[in-house]
Amino acid sequence: MRVALHAEWTKIRTVPSPLWLLVGTVAATVALSAGATSVVNCTASGCGGDTTKLSLMGVYIGQALVAILAVLIVSGEYGSGMIRTTLAAVPRRAIAFAAKAITLTGVVAVGGTVAVLGSVLAGRLVLPDLGDQALSLTNGPAMRAVVGTVLYLILIALLSLGIATAMRDSATSIGIVLGLLYIVPILVQTISDPYWQRLLQKIAPMSAGLAVQATTDLHSLPISPWAGLGVTAAWAIAALSVGGLLLRMRDA
Amino acid sequence: MSAPGIVVAGLRKRYGPTLALDGMSFSVRPGLVTGFLGPNGAGKSTTMRVILGLDAVEEGTALIDGRPYRSLRHPLTHVGSLLDAAALHPGRSGRNHLLWLAHSQGLAARRVDQVIEEVGLASAARRKAGGYSLGMRQRLGIAAALLGDPPIIMLDEPFNGMDPDGIIWMRGFLRSLAAQGRAVLVSSHLMSEVQDTADHLVVVGRGKAIADAGVAELIAAASGNRVALRTTAGAHAMKVLARAGATVAATGRDTIAVSGLPADRIVTVLNESAVPFSEVSAHRATLEDVYLDLTREAVEFRAATPTEVRR
Amino acid sequence: MTSTVTRHRPSPKAGRYGFLQVLHAEWTKFRTALGWVIGMMVAALMVVLFAVLAGVSSNQKGSSPVPIGPGGGPVTDSFYFVHQPLAGNGSISVSVSALKSSIPKGPGDLRPGIVPWAKAGLIIKQSTRQGSPYAAIMATGSHGVRMQDNYVNDTAGLPDPVSTASVRWLRLDRSGDTITGHASADGTHWTKVGTTRVSGLGPTAQVGLFVASPAAVGGGGTAGSVSTATFGDLRIQGGLAGSTWTGGQVGAESPSFAGYPESTSGSFTESNGRFTVTGAGDMAPAVRDSLPTGAHLREILTGTFAALIAVIVVGALFITAEYRNKMIHLTLAASPRRSRVLVAKAIVLWAVTFVAGSVGAICATPLGERLARRNGVYIFPVSSLTELRVALGTAALLATASVLALSVGAIFRHSAGAVTTVIVAIVLPYILIAIPFIPAGVSKGLATVTPVAAFAVQQTLVPYDHVASNYTPYYGYYPLAPWAGFAVLAGYALVSLAVATVLLNRRDA
Repeated sequence: MRVALHAEWTKIRTVPSPLWLLVGTVAATVALSAGATSVVNCTASGCGGDTTKLSLMGVYIGQALVAILAVLIVSGEYGSGMIRTTLAAVPRRAIAFAAKAITLTGVVAVGGTVAVLGSVLAGRLVLPDLGDQALSLTNGPAMRAVVGTVLYLILIALLSLGIATAMRDSATSIGIVLGLLYIVPILVQTISDPYWQRLLQKIAPMSAGLAVQATTDLHSLPISPWAGLGVTAAWAIAALSVGGLLLRMRDA
Repeated sequence: MSAPGIVVAGLRKRYGPTLALDGMSFSVRPGLVTGFLGPNGAGKSTTMRVILGLDAVEEGTALIDGRPYRSLRHPLTHVGSLLDAAALHPGRSGRNHLLWLAHSQGLAARRVDQVIEEVGLASAARRKAGGYSLGMRQRLGIAAALLGDPPIIMLDEPFNGMDPDGIIWMRGFLRSLAAQGRAVLVSSHLMSEVQDTADHLVVVGRGKAIADAGVAELIAAASGNRVALRTTAGAHAMKVLARAGATVAATGRDTIAVSGLPADRIVTVLNESAVPFSEVSAHRATLEDVYLDLTREAVEFRAATPTEVRR
Repeated sequence: MTSTVTRHRPSPKAGRYGFLQVLHAEWTKFRTALGWVIGMMVAALMVVLFAVLAGVSSNQKGSSPVPIGPGGGPVTDSFYFVHQPLAGNGSISVSVSALKSSIPKGPGDLRPGIVPWAKAGLIIKQSTRQGSPYAAIMATGSHGVRMQDNYVNDTAGLPDPVSTASVRWLRLDRSGDTITGHASADGTHWTKVGTTRVSGLGPTAQVGLFVASPAAVGGGGTAGSVSTATFGDLRIQGGLAGSTWTGGQVGAESPSFAGYPESTSGSFTESNGRFTVTGAGDMAPAVRDSLPTGAHLREILTGTFAALIAVIVVGALFITAEYRNKMIHLTLAASPRRSRVLVAKAIVLWAVTFVAGSVGAICATPLGERLARRNGVYIFPVSSLTELRVALGTAALLATASVLALSVGAIFRHSAGAVTTVIVAIVLPYILIAIPFIPAGVSKGLATVTPVAAFAVQQTLVPYDHVASNYTPYYGYYPLAPWAGFAVLAGYALVSLAVATVLLNRRDA
């Protein structure tokens, strides 16, 4: 396992695109967060919303770049045929797959942390000083939002990895991942029945997972913060299982 | 029509710091199979891509029947080419692959069936090309090259991945194309693949043609006026021959290569000094020797430079 | 075999149609790659599937029927009416000396405020039935004196709000179907505000005082307001002898009426000829956020987003697969004029996507509408021409987005990057628009300059100057006209296609 991990780490380290995607993730996340915080109207009584959630809004776009990173780790190898070399070097496919997942987790954890902390910092600089409502990492809900967002990005990466392993084609995988993430929030707007609305928000990977960013009005959420992240985790586990199973069953 | 065939003159191109083509010049004439030989990275594929208008050059011209490729109206009726047999969409059947190509040249679908028959792919033509073996892909690629019935055929490493039957088929096929009066250019990095097939050889190294001649001519030139001598008194023989003005080199336990003296003069010298010998024969180089001699420099250059030239 | 090699030349005539041959080749390429054909079918299917889902998941059964105005459109017709019958022709006049509104700031916290379209004045109306024809003249919160009829028509009169220092006299005259409105600042010098023909008032109409107070708009939402007006000098000519003034709420139960703020209600009192009337509601065409039980075509076509992702993937793959397989070498060797190849690809892709999108949208629209109606949803009515525009516009949107993906794919030569770029460029602005606390200006800006502007082709709702509402993209009101919004996306696609062409010509294949 250690050997397989070392190999995956070397692979990810020795091509430029993962690094650029991580830099892109950080830049896009911080930029969108800063943009979102700078357009809201703040008054002395607040900003008409959850400022923590608002300043972490960059993950809406950051997750797309994380998804590409994860998809390319697998489908890039299928595209070039290198997957055969990988599986010849590490014939136990479960280990090869786990090594990829662990390496990806590590890389996204680092990139995600930088992106999230950058967004918080940007939020603090952009938003007016709101006294006790100010963004602070010392209060519990804000800390949960920050840690939860990093975990969310990791889960999205793993979800993408699983889907890419199952689909083997990068464009199709990206389409499916982004579809899963973005379509439900759009669909929810048009559904008038509150029962269906809340149901969809509870089971969709993005709507549920980002509940972890909420710091105010928790009782009105369709799903509680950690349970929401659990839903995203369930998606990731399901995708990894399907991908892993297909990897074992299929010819490379 | 001026200058039928392919005329390449003074191509120069660099990829970053690497000079890929450095004054590449040669021509390919109708009715002959021209072997395009050189070590990997010598510039063969780049030259072919330039001929097909795929890559731009900084200097020089590559003309098809006197015209640049990009100005041809139906290029596949002028040049048929196979650069990379794997270059197809895996989900499309072999026949459909040829069909879109035919449509792009205004050719009818029955021409597709004709070339499929010609390359012996009829049984697999309606299967997905993604499932083809390398040999079948090569045949499909050849079919694509023949589609426009062009007077010029250009194949990049067509023997790669072929089984022995396939290689024999390919050789006969290339000969028959030349016999029909077509100009055929076949690249390879192995002399053995083309030596029985080619009439003419262009040997390249470090981005330029280092030899451009008929096969017989090349062998004669490389053989020089060397003489092979078999003798049990090697040391003595070398001494007397050197004194007589020849250049000598031991080539085996009891064989010596002598140059600078004609064979009859060597016999006289050895007899005068009473050196015993069992055989004196004019040395005849093999094409393999010629090729290795010519490209040695280029190979050494490559080994000393880690930068891989793009192929 | 002979030594001539000219047997299989294309006919000389073919040469003149070189571009058509490239087009034919690209079409053959497209239709023979099963995955792409499936992708297009998926796109069409998504549009239909989501329409069914939107129809099935909506549940408005049991809600009151939506009032329909004389023009056939949905209306809000809820206000406090102090009326008596007027047989035949006649005239009524009154003075308005105060109009004060209150807006809730929180539960039970009612504060005085300005409701720009709060209304107090005279009305002549067929009956107290919701949606019946009427004409009215009124003082408003901040739009001066207005004469309005049949919900959609609005004419401006004297400016400035009313107060005890600036009293407004109003008069309505009926002569058959012709209603004339006058206003005066002193009760003696009258200025005509407008004349209108209102058919269907009947032999005996209801006339009298009214107060309406539409929901206050702010912060991306609305809050029900209440207004109180003071009237005096009420005179009626031609009325039925012995009639008394009756007060009551018109349209108390209506999906387009948000009701009174907590602990308030409609009422009227009279003492010494002074009437004090309190009312809420509005007489106006219904708009999206005043009709929560309604739906419009765009909502039925939500599947456009899923379809969008499918056509973006296919569009990008149409070129990037060639780069990955290196088949691009063969393509460019066969057609060395590279711009033609890219343009041919764009045309084939656009046409195929347009057909798939049209099929999807044309099937989805009636299906989704029928299912939604069965669940009690009111669909904003549109002409069949508009319906066709929405369906074909949706198809054109999908087709153009796929060409954008093709162009970006040709620029990147890599599918993952191209697919993500285009999806994020279209979907992300849409999601941002949907965030309630994003200010309207930003959301309108996004819907003007980003490719999401093209969703204006699905717009069927019309904003009204005399109805204050959240006319934001979130509620289906786009800042650009349908085809202007489409032009924004088309602009992105054309610019990318031009850049891709230049790069394709310049780069080594």
